[in-house]
Amino acid sequence: MLFLLEAKKIKHTGYLAAFLLSGIISCIFPIIHMLVRAETFTSLPGNPYVILINANWKMMTMFNILIVICGACIMYHTEYANSGMLKMVTLPVNSIHLFFSKFLITALLLAGIIFSQITVLVGCALHWFPNASFDFISILKNTGFQWLIFLPTAMLMLFLSSVCKNMWISLGIGIIMVFTVSIFPQDNFVVSLFPFCSPYQTLAVVDENSHTQFFCMSCIIQTVLFYLAEVLYLKTRRSFT
Amino acid sequence: MKFLSLLFIELKKIRRSKILLILIIPVIIMWIPSIVNASMNFDVHDIPITPENNFFIQGFMGMTWFMIPATLVIATVLLTQTEQSQNGILKMLSLPVSTIRLCLAKFIVLVLLTILQMLFCIITYYASAIIASQLQDYNFVLNPLFVCTNVLTLYLAAIPMAAVFWMLSVLVKTPIFSVGLGLASIVPSVLIINTKLWFAYPMSYPFYLLMIQYGKAATGIYSSQIDWFPWFPVSILITILALILSCIRFGTLKKR
Repeated sequence: MLFLLEAKKIKHTGYLAAFLLSGIISCIFPIIHMLVRAETFTSLPGNPYVILINANWKMMTMFNILIVICGACIMYHTEYANSGMLKMVTLPVNSIHLFFSKFLITALLLAGIIFSQITVLVGCALHWFPNASFDFISILKNTGFQWLIFLPTAMLMLFLSSVCKNMWISLGIGIIMVFTVSIFPQDNFVVSLFPFCSPYQTLAVVDENSHTQFFCMSCIIQTVLFYLAEVLYLKTRRSFT
Repeated sequence: MKFLSLLFIELKKIRRSKILLILIIPVIIMWIPSIVNASMNFDVHDIPITPENNFFIQGFMGMTWFMIPATLVIATVLLTQTEQSQNGILKMLSLPVSTIRLCLAKFIVLVLLTILQMLFCIITYYASAIIASQLQDYNFVLNPLFVCTNVLTLYLAAIPMAAVFWMLSVLVKTPIFSVGLGLASIVPSVLIINTKLWFAYPMSYPFYLLMIQYGKAATGIYSSQIDWFPWFPVSILITILALILSCIRFGTLKKR
């Protein structure tokens, strides 16, 4: 029930439309990339899908991360803007359910976006590469992996925006994280495990280094940890304000 | 009310906003990898560039590409949202103050915040250059006049972009779109400076100027001449248009 309520709340914020738009832009990106410089990629040896995801995933993930940051800020901004949060807290609802419904919405939308991005990449491979083959299982597998490694970032961002009452602070922290990740070397395995950095990884690269299981476990643990951090924050909230 | 006093009031409003922290932290972070990897500045891969120039340009790369525009977006959020919570903006609009002046005062605050960040940039550049020089036993410190004029031009080139972001935040009612559009517009600027139409895209100006510096420091990487025409008139036109539009529309969404 709370999930439906949350879905209703974001109706007038443009949340859904913004996610859709960002998804469409990031899906168009590899198509334009292929239209402009197809030869550079088709001449490369190896799996067409892997070539394409290596060439485009960074840019596409950047869009995903930015929209998740914006979305998390907006979700809590609507609560804090006119003291809606106070009203929610007085209702006989557990505040953590509120947080989880917000996370669920973000995660569901992300799954949709990432699925369409992977599908577009596979479509590009089929259209431009003569030796590409269609494999639905691998699409699902890739989507699942890319989605899973995105979850810690989404959870952390929601946690940050639930803690910061002012939108520019949570937005600022998110942007600074993106900036920090962009200037630090990303080939370091330990660094790549951190939220805001892990979404840039691809299944092909992680598989190559046979870190897949470890990577997935670490992302699940991080997601749970950030969830627990929110629980802890809600329990001790009174001492902060 | 005088414009100057309006400006001071606007500055007072953001006193407790913690925006200074958000301005300073990325400036400090941006030099950490530069100091840690200072030895990599000697390994230039056949690019004819001196290590000290390399240090300067590589350090500012992430800043001009991503952080200057992103800071501007965050600052516009700050300026539009500080007064929303208790409907303070309604009170401001009901006062006998010209909305145009109010809008311009807020824009000047936005520019002042970026100037503040520029000063931090210069200070931290010198601090990190001195630390790197100590660590590597090589003088990374560049001539202050060169550094100051360069950083100043980078930030001056950000003013048209600031005007566009400010216009977006005034024209677009839902914050997710104004913020999202601002952030999304940063991403393709790397691609756009390599096209012929870069001068029509304000988000790429600072990065373009840095690339020109790169071209000057290392011949053959990028053009070393600034194409003043049509860039200069176009950028001024964009700034003025954006400011006029935001001044006209400022407050109208609330007044209804």
